[in-house]
Amino acid sequence: MTFYAPFTLPFIIGALAMFLILGIKWGIWTSRLTKPQKRLLLRNLPTRRFLAALWESVREALLHRRIWRVNPLLGYMHTSLAFGWFLLIAVGWIETLVVIGPRFVPLQGHVFFKYFATELPHDPFFEQTMDLLLLFVLSGVALAWMKRMRARMMGMRRTTRHVAGDRFALTALWCVFPLRLAAESLVCALHGGGGFLTGSLGRLLAAHLSPETLAPLNEAAWWCYSTALGVFFVALPFSRYMHIFTEIPLIFLRRCGIRSSEKKGFFDHFQIEACSRCGICIDPCQLQRTLGADDVQSVYFLRDRRYRTLRRRVTDHCLMCGRCAERCPVGIDLNTLRLNARTSLRNIPTDRRYDYLLGIDRSAGAGRVGYFAGCMTLQTPRTLRAMERIFRAAGEEVWWADRDGGVCCGRPLKLSGEVDAARKMMAYNTELFRRHGIATLVTSCPICLKVFREDYRLEGIEVLHHSEYLLRLLQAGRLALQRGERLFTYHDPCELGRGSGIYDEPRAVIEAIGTLTEPAETREEALCCGSSVADLEITDGEQLAIARDVAASLERTGAETIVTACPLCKKAIGRGTERPVADLAEVVAEALTQTA
Amino acid sequence: MALDFGYGISKPRSIDLDRNEFYKGNAVLGKMPELQTCIGCGSCTATCTAGALTDFNFRRLHTRIRRGEFKGIYDEINKCMLCGKCRLTCPRGINTRGVVQLIKRNMGELQSE
Repeated sequence: MTFYAPFTLPFIIGALAMFLILGIKWGIWTSRLTKPQKRLLLRNLPTRRFLAALWESVREALLHRRIWRVNPLLGYMHTSLAFGWFLLIAVGWIETLVVIGPRFVPLQGHVFFKYFATELPHDPFFEQTMDLLLLFVLSGVALAWMKRMRARMMGMRRTTRHVAGDRFALTALWCVFPLRLAAESLVCALHGGGGFLTGSLGRLLAAHLSPETLAPLNEAAWWCYSTALGVFFVALPFSRYMHIFTEIPLIFLRRCGIRSSEKKGFFDHFQIEACSRCGICIDPCQLQRTLGADDVQSVYFLRDRRYRTLRRRVTDHCLMCGRCAERCPVGIDLNTLRLNARTSLRNIPTDRRYDYLLGIDRSAGAGRVGYFAGCMTLQTPRTLRAMERIFRAAGEEVWWADRDGGVCCGRPLKLSGEVDAARKMMAYNTELFRRHGIATLVTSCPICLKVFREDYRLEGIEVLHHSEYLLRLLQAGRLALQRGERLFTYHDPCELGRGSGIYDEPRAVIEAIGTLTEPAETREEALCCGSSVADLEITDGEQLAIARDVAASLERTGAETIVTACPLCKKAIGRGTERPVADLAEVVAEALTQTA
Repeated sequence: MALDFGYGISKPRSIDLDRNEFYKGNAVLGKMPELQTCIGCGSCTATCTAGALTDFNFRRLHTRIRRGEFKGIYDEINKCMLCGKCRLTCPRGINTRGVVQLIKRNMGELQSE
């Protein structure tokens, strides 16, 4: 048996082209990782992380577990296509092995086995199994068609608007499985055999058509099937389907500890091309659901960046709230990619910038605990006054870093892409903290908190958000609070919740004062207030529209006071509601009993 | 004979339309029309983090640009820390951070010409 027929040529050429291009892409990206990244890869790959990555690949690249969590039907669709196709290939391979024994069979021999195996004995187990798997995949294709027509059925209000190249590849992919069904059924019609699907269809065809009609139809069907495969394979590396082969190396590299940084790098390509453009990031985006902006979401950002058609508006119009990244089934680090795209747009040499910071020190007081209000808290001084009362009540000696004016933490500048200039502010503040010998640094601004924790080198200084600090004071019995009947609701600031993983501390503090009720979208799913310093494009009216939206969802809880733990969120939400919006520190200060 | 009283009268400030480059100023305004709604209240400067530490004055800066006076603007605008307090306080809701970035972008380009 030769396993060769002219119709296999499109498939063979397509597959060869695909693997060649994949090899080139992976080769370039991997060889141009930075030295530390390569060291991480070499050191961590031959460890238990390899097994963890292997398991994650099965779970995510084949079973798509994270999509099941978004919507079961959507999950089933992705599983049936990915895992179903994988099983078709794997079981098909085993079938070949069982039927003809252990001998070399070229690739097309496995793929088009039914065509070549007409003379061989039929194994009913494999024929039924393969039919079942084909049905499994076909059900996924049918769902994919339906999703194009009615995305809502799968819990998606909107799906991605695809570019022409993606539509082309998509069409080829959708043709592959129906054509396979047709080709295999026709073979069964001519030669018998087949399972419940292809066998039955074959008998039906044989009953109505003569062998003279069936034979050319059979040839044509196999040609079409092979051509659809070939076309899909050639289109794959240039289309969204590149994710099929990129997600797996991404999982391995990520498990080895490799991350994207604030400046562009070659690892970014693994992340960008691992995006399948599934569009799950579109619905959570508030720029979409509140403002109707429909070309800036992560899926479009990654697509434009990949095809080098990125415009400044797309790069800059993003709140970096992280709601999309929370949902992304591939786990792409969307905020960092957005950030380093801004860096390449805007980062400029910084020789003389911020030289005026030299020698400035407006801090006051002395103590092992330092308090950094941050620009936004200075702008909303009720929080600062409340913190003063709390520190006094707890008997804490405090060093005030910026009560009388200070230097910005640098995060707003970093988020705009001027990362080198931001380093100057970070260096200034770091030196200031060190000079005053503090052991703990408390800040009431989550924006500052995040940059202190992630970009500053503050070894030996514990950085706390005031919600964490307040909870510690309560637990240590250093604050006496009057618990009342008030009903509070809490808004998770993006930089504090999704950004720094602090969800429970502010809630515990609120529950020490009154009753807490949660809005519909909360914790990891919490809405953004809309005033994030990360969005460089958003207008005032748009900020207000988002603020009203968020405020309305908080009002629906029926709470009398809206509490948050970020000065910017507080001001933003306050514009959208008549109810009082207070910082956590304010409600704590109000609840202080006189005896404390 | 001039007596030295320890202070003097400043040179009369006049807007020299021959020297001002309105074309460039309009190029900035064209990309951020909302800046035209500025009432010059100075809240941006009053809250400014950089302004508290230096003589950086955002109101003066964007006023000069609208007037077409560009000398030394680029170095001056780079004193801004982009913290966003001015945006929070602006009574006209102008995207002041966007204005800063627009000025940087345009002045950088203009200076490199």
